[in-house]
Amino acid sequence: MINVASVRGHATIGFFNFRYFRLRPKDAQMTILGINFGQSYASIAVIDKEGHPTCIANEEGERQIACAISYVGEQVYIGNGAKPHLVKNGKNTIMGFRNLLGHTYDEVDHTTILTAPLLADSKTPAYTVDILVPPPKPASNPRSAAASGTATPNPAALEPVPSTKTITVPEVTSLFLSTLLTSATDFLGVKPTACVVSAPTWFTSAQHDALKKAAQDAGIAVLQVLDEAAAVLVGYRVGLSEERKSRGLLGKPEEGNAGEEEKRDKKVVVLDMGETSLAVSVVQVSEGEYTVLNKGRDDRLGGREFDNLLLKHFSKEFTKRTKVALDLPCGPDASAADKRADAKLVLAVEHTKRSLSASSGAATCAVESLKDGYDLSSSINRLRFDGLASNVYRQVGNKLNEVVKEAGLDLAEIDEILLAGASTLFTGLQQHLSLLVSPTTPVTSTIDPSEVIAIGCALQALHLENLKEDNLKVEDVLSSTKEKVDVTSAPIGLIIPGQESDELVAVVIDAGAPLPVRRRVAIPVEKAGLVGLELWEGKHEVKITKVERAPIEKSEDDDEDEDDEEEEEDEEIKTPITKKVKVLGGVQVDFKGEGQLILEVIVQRNGGLNVKAWQEGNESQIDSFEV
Amino acid sequence: MASIITLPIKLSTVPSGWKKPTTSKPSNPNQLPIYPAGPSFIGSARRQILQRSFEEDDKFIISAKEKQLAEKEDKGDGSLYPGLGEEEEPSHVLSQDPKEWKKQDHYAVLGLGHLRYKAHDEHIRIAHRRKVLRHHPDKKAAQHGANDDSFFKCIQKAHETLTNNDKRRQFDSVDWNIEDEVPDLKSLSPEQFVDVCNKVFSREGRFSKVQPVPEFGSLDAPKKEVEGFYDFFYNFDSWRSFEWHDKEVNEGSDNRDDKRFTEKKNKSERTRRKKEDNTRLRVLVDDVLALDPRIKRIKAEEKAARDAKKKGTTNGVPKALTPAEKKAVEEKKKKEELEKKEADKKALEASKGDREAAKKAKEAARKNLKKWKKSIATVISSSNYFQPEGTSPSATIIEKQLSELDLIVDLIEPEQVKELKEKIEKVENGKSAKDILIETVKSIGEKGQDKFTEFA
Repeated sequence: MINVASVRGHATIGFFNFRYFRLRPKDAQMTILGINFGQSYASIAVIDKEGHPTCIANEEGERQIACAISYVGEQVYIGNGAKPHLVKNGKNTIMGFRNLLGHTYDEVDHTTILTAPLLADSKTPAYTVDILVPPPKPASNPRSAAASGTATPNPAALEPVPSTKTITVPEVTSLFLSTLLTSATDFLGVKPTACVVSAPTWFTSAQHDALKKAAQDAGIAVLQVLDEAAAVLVGYRVGLSEERKSRGLLGKPEEGNAGEEEKRDKKVVVLDMGETSLAVSVVQVSEGEYTVLNKGRDDRLGGREFDNLLLKHFSKEFTKRTKVALDLPCGPDASAADKRADAKLVLAVEHTKRSLSASSGAATCAVESLKDGYDLSSSINRLRFDGLASNVYRQVGNKLNEVVKEAGLDLAEIDEILLAGASTLFTGLQQHLSLLVSPTTPVTSTIDPSEVIAIGCALQALHLENLKEDNLKVEDVLSSTKEKVDVTSAPIGLIIPGQESDELVAVVIDAGAPLPVRRRVAIPVEKAGLVGLELWEGKHEVKITKVERAPIEKSEDDDEDEDDEEEEEDEEIKTPITKKVKVLGGVQVDFKGEGQLILEVIVQRNGGLNVKAWQEGNESQIDSFEV
Repeated sequence: MASIITLPIKLSTVPSGWKKPTTSKPSNPNQLPIYPAGPSFIGSARRQILQRSFEEDDKFIISAKEKQLAEKEDKGDGSLYPGLGEEEEPSHVLSQDPKEWKKQDHYAVLGLGHLRYKAHDEHIRIAHRRKVLRHHPDKKAAQHGANDDSFFKCIQKAHETLTNNDKRRQFDSVDWNIEDEVPDLKSLSPEQFVDVCNKVFSREGRFSKVQPVPEFGSLDAPKKEVEGFYDFFYNFDSWRSFEWHDKEVNEGSDNRDDKRFTEKKNKSERTRRKKEDNTRLRVLVDDVLALDPRIKRIKAEEKAARDAKKKGTTNGVPKALTPAEKKAVEEKKKKEELEKKEADKKALEASKGDREAAKKAKEAARKNLKKWKKSIATVISSSNYFQPEGTSPSATIIEKQLSELDLIVDLIEPEQVKELKEKIEKVENGKSAKDILIETVKSIGEKGQDKFTEFA
């Protein structure tokens, strides 16, 4: 695929004037790359000539590139080609190295590493692998070279020599990232000039630095190491309602607006479920600025869980059909035959898993000579799989609930769930999540979750590269804020005088908005006269209303126990509300005829408040106050 | 830029007695980590670094946006299709029937309405590519679910026509979107006239087989150019043809005669139109030539040049002469010329008379020679051939004497013969006459030596 694309690109250059084929971002010299560097899989995205980010495939046609390196004799396999070597050559295959970045040897949990062993005595974690090195060249002798026609060198001397190689984690990372860079360079035709690399949400700054250094060693022009959750938010253009709407990236909730508009201030959960781990981030979006309310992770919940479920399922199926005992996944003290069967089936079920998430039909799994010479050929449909995986789904839901609770919020207050990571592609999981939140909350996967991080990285790199136009330096912008910034502590909203209520009618500035913040709202005014507004500080709460279910008339046939249990419970409807707490001030404008009242509220960096109100089109009559 | 969001509430006039509440400070800010990502973050960082207030930043953003828009407009769609520009696609173009391709404006379909016959092959190729990308039926089906490929067919027909050289010429020949009206030339000022003619003839020139076509030129074009222009357009070799107006031969009909009839009719129609067109152009060139202010100018210039030349030859310094002197000089010259002419004439006449007289005399002498010879012969015979009296001269003597007389007459000039006759008639005496003859023979000298016996 990549070859086709690049060939087409060259043909175009030959056909057209070169000007026709330039990249949209300003000029041909500006080429953008985004790298999603996951623990198990990586993906790369570039900005195409229309200015849109696209996830590209590498030379092998893979968009999801396995983070694996395998040393086999003189050869080195990197990417998806290295994965099968885990079966026979696990000792010399390196996987899961990303999370070790920036750690010392002692900090690493050695029990989880199933691949090449880590060297015990090095400061930075390093792998040792057995390799074959080319033979040392015979001492160059000009005479013998001249007489080489007669004296054939000893064939034994040309045999590769077995040796061991020590490679540190940063070196492995550089090696792997450089192959990603090569793929992108092949696609673009030129080396990318700007790049953003993603890092997991829980990476420490030391790990960030280690990753950045490894990427720079690979020859990548790294502008920023970006949090995966932030990359997802940027990829979805969350908070930039118009652009997001025009690109059709708004999620469609079960109820309410059908992906037509987006709130300016909202609480978003980024749920990233990869191959090995689950990361949940709760983010306050205030007009495109993202502040982190809470984040959490679960290292055991990942796509691998689904693999294990499938392994179990198919091994049972195998035993049932062939009467050959096989219990997978097997422990470390299993027989060699079991281990081999395990490795074979792991590779097979991965395909099954992918086809399950991609298509609604049944997915097959076929392995030749799984154990004792018996073949396995079976299939599983989605319903069956969802049944198998319901426990995993529930665990994901629980984790989500836990992280949201830790942020002091309720699931009902979440305005959107953004999905990332290939494991969230299962529709069963998406349905489960949408049941947890309010029906107006979309569970969005409008961008392929396995590509969204890379796309977000590419977009962020584009945004940073465009800073050059404003004569701003990327470093200045990124260092302009410290780790934490001042944000509004409470929502600021409106009360209409005369309406007795302890709830705010509308929230103008939500809590968690980075200072300084400015908001403008328009309020329609029905008739001429003096209109006024009160500004209040509020407090978010969740109103729980219990609705007694209308007793369903039981039909005689319907006597299943489960239904009865559900019916006995009252349904709770949770609605987020904002209670008024403290009055901040008021404005009044004398209206001449119908129109709109424009209200501007600014909270300054020092916490001061500026409020202005005027009739639209009549800015001479402004009522304002400052605190 | 702060976007304004309309809240889903409505305000009405405040209840009486409501007063603005006293102001108080909002609660102290919290601290939260922020993701340094996204355009909004970059915007706020820019405000902070450049120390701009919200209003200043708004102005900056608006100006940047305007700049960007202006750049975009400059390019048109030009970054991808340089020099091609973007043309609107009016609904009547989009909704035309591909079956009516003879009535279709192929240039407008491809968005080349502003270029027309000036469009290069490259333009057509790129324009076609662009339209195809935009209007491909697959794309339409994906966007609107409509299975409408009629405009796509129009695009293909336009492309087919415009990329085939013959067909394109046929279409260009009858392109009804290029007006060939010529305004009333008589009512134009010279500048306007030149302007209009330049336009008209650059338009007409597109049909020329010979390229490049000379321009009409400016008001002060040299004679050579002007003549070159009219020469070119009087010998105009046009490729314009009128196959486009042909009536379709009904392919389905088996009637061969029918087909031949239509073809014949088409052919005659084509020749008629071609003839008409040639006449139209010739009449146009005639009209223009008659009204061309440059021709008048050139004629005037030539006359002046001739006059100047005349003055230059009579006098090295013609300007130093006063008119009176000029007149005198002229008169003198005229007189001299006249005199010279007359003298020549006289001389010519005189010489002519002499020659004629001489000729006449000679002829007369020749005529008289016989007479004179006869009279001499009579004198000889009357003197009894110089024989003593009473004796009759023998025949041989007579013959000898007469033949010797012939010889004498042959040898001497006619004048001398005359003198000889007069001398002999004077003496009339036999003896002396013989002496005269002998003298004459002697005067002949060597010529007559040994030839004479009687008169020796």
